[in-house]
Amino acid sequence: MKHTRSISKHWVLFLSAVALIVAASPAQAANYEVGTCIASLPKFPTIQLAVNSVPPGSTILVCPATYSEQVTISRPLTLRGLSSSNQDRPVIAAPPNGLAINVTSITGANVAAQVLVQNVAPPGNVNLTGITVDGSRAEVSGCSVSAFLAGIFYASGTSGTINEMTTRNQQLPSCGYGIWIENGAGPNQSITVENNSVHDVTWEGIFAISNQTPSTLAATIKGNFVTGKDYNQTKDIEVNGVSGALTGNVVTGGLQGITNDGGPVTISGNVVADISIGVAIAFGDGSTVTSNKISNVYTAFLLGGSGVSPGPTVTGNTTKNTTYVVMYNCIPNVTVKSNTFNDSEFGFDHVPTANSGLGVNSIYNIDTVQTSTCP
Amino acid sequence: MSRHLAWFFFAMVMLAVSAPLQALNYEVGGCKTGSGYVNFTTISAAVAGVPAGATIQICPGVYPEQVTITQPLTLKGIGFNNANRAMITINPNGSLAPNVTSSINGLPFYAQVLVQNINPAGPVSIIGITVDGSGDNAGCSAETLAGIFYASGTSGTVNEVTARNQVNGGCGWGIWVENGAASSQTITIENSSVHNQGNGGIGNFGIGSGGISAVSIVPPTLSAAIRGNFLSSTGGEAGLGVAGNDAILSETNGEISGNVITSNPQFATSIYACCDSVVVSGNTVANNTAGFGIEIYSGMTAQGNKLSNVGYSIVAHSDTATTIKSNTIKNTLCGLSFGGASSGTISGNTLNDSFYGFANWGGPPIGGNSLYNVDNVMSTTSDCP
Repeated sequence: MKHTRSISKHWVLFLSAVALIVAASPAQAANYEVGTCIASLPKFPTIQLAVNSVPPGSTILVCPATYSEQVTISRPLTLRGLSSSNQDRPVIAAPPNGLAINVTSITGANVAAQVLVQNVAPPGNVNLTGITVDGSRAEVSGCSVSAFLAGIFYASGTSGTINEMTTRNQQLPSCGYGIWIENGAGPNQSITVENNSVHDVTWEGIFAISNQTPSTLAATIKGNFVTGKDYNQTKDIEVNGVSGALTGNVVTGGLQGITNDGGPVTISGNVVADISIGVAIAFGDGSTVTSNKISNVYTAFLLGGSGVSPGPTVTGNTTKNTTYVVMYNCIPNVTVKSNTFNDSEFGFDHVPTANSGLGVNSIYNIDTVQTSTCP
Repeated sequence: MSRHLAWFFFAMVMLAVSAPLQALNYEVGGCKTGSGYVNFTTISAAVAGVPAGATIQICPGVYPEQVTITQPLTLKGIGFNNANRAMITINPNGSLAPNVTSSINGLPFYAQVLVQNINPAGPVSIIGITVDGSGDNAGCSAETLAGIFYASGTSGTVNEVTARNQVNGGCGWGIWVENGAASSQTITIENSSVHNQGNGGIGNFGIGSGGISAVSIVPPTLSAAIRGNFLSSTGGEAGLGVAGNDAILSETNGEISGNVITSNPQFATSIYACCDSVVVSGNTVANNTAGFGIEIYSGMTAQGNKLSNVGYSIVAHSDTATTIKSNTIKNTLCGLSFGGASSGTISGNTLNDSFYGFANWGGPPIGGNSLYNVDNVMSTTSDCP
């Protein structure tokens, strides 16, 4: 009897749970639409109205069109571009009256973000897929070293995935960013930036930063195609104080291809090319640089960091057509071995006299193997 | 018996005499000396003076000479005293007259390193050498300049070579290999750095200029493996080509894989591949905004390539089926163009950030691909404008 009663109580609980799930599902999983390309869905005229109105966890489908608005997302959701009538590009463009500064970074900089993810409540992921964020004709008052334009900005405490987006034309002089993610909060966050097309930015293509020690931002930056502008000092991808992996990206043009200012980051399987006056991969403490392909750049590897042991490792990479292969900057304990270097004017510059970490590499067609000594 | 013994001793003496010759090291440039080395002052003298099958080590230095190799051997650059570049350059005091005529297109070439009439038959391998074409400005009306030229009937490997500055007024190729002979040959070009060819010239009767070319008669008698090379600023028609020009019906077999091809100026094509059995896979093509990324023909396969910042990414010149699958394309004017084909394997491709997705397709709606940020999924004109 006791057993029967127990089962019955479980049944009641079970049925209640099912009823709750059934009731909740339409709201939680429902699709909403911006535009009018799908007849059956609840519709919103603007993306901002949609992200303000839908229940947390919703998916908002965005019809192909141009949406001239600055969007702030403050709840977990998915924003996804749609295909309709031979069109497949929803574009978030700058409003006619310009962009407002809408976030202050943990760096202290004021940023006008075209898509801002901030103060997400309840906590949860914000995912962006298949939308173009275009910075053409964007005006940012006071654009300078302390005020920036960003296509997409994930602020402290946020998480999610940016997948198959296009960010382009964030090209105000010296202040245009394609994608900016950061975490200055205590709790750990994970943000993935993958398979995006990022181009025609003046300052940085993809930027990730944490000011916490140890880092509270795990950044996965993979499979992106970033094209920097040669005539500007573009850093294509830069991470600062984050943990994570930069893998399988195709990075060309600009002044600096991939930069890790410091942090436990793996940089692997990337292609970096066409940086005629700059650096393909610059890195500091904590970096593991492996199996990258680098060509047609001025400097393949620029070492930074403190010289702490063990230092960064550079293995299994291939470089062709460079002016310098490795600029050591007299920093010890950086392991450089089992790489293949072909076609460079200089091989290893300013190699430290002690604990250089320079091992055996396959070298072809290098005019001067080592140049400039360290004190 | 005693006559047999005499023969035996004679044979032993011959072996004793010849063995040290076979075991000797051959060197050009004077950085390796001693009893184990035979030294030459020029590469031309070495390739003519060593036994067939020998390996010739080239010391770092500049060698202003035109080299013709007519026996199987290996030419290998070595490092010495903090230097590691053995560079063959144009002789400023030498003739700039052509030294070979292509058996495929009949055009005169000035080959800086010519591999031709190999006897006895065997492969010629070139490793770790730079071939720099600066200084030959004879122009398109006089000749096409080639850094390395493997003529008909030859085979071998070009590995970790640098070929650069074959400009010649717009008619220059870094590496040109061909076979106009009936017997099949295999040539591998791998891991090499090829750049600054032609500078965008479109001359020389449509052959133009480019980084690497492999051409053959029809049906193809050349199997060319072109893999792991890095090419940039290779102007003219093709940055990397298997078959230089369709008008002359050149064909070859082989693979074009794992190359990185960037920064093509003018209206260049990064990979121009013809014909049936060529597979174009795993290449990275970027920064060819005014040109074509990959051009293929009937029955060919383009698979697993990455293309970005390219005008026309993959163009199939074909009214029959091609296989175009698992390629990733970003930031392009035209994603895939099919030459009017109505069938084929078009699947698993990902396009993001393209003005046109598909063009010139004669078949049913294309499914099985992932498209993002494409302004026009199917071009409404016959091709991408």
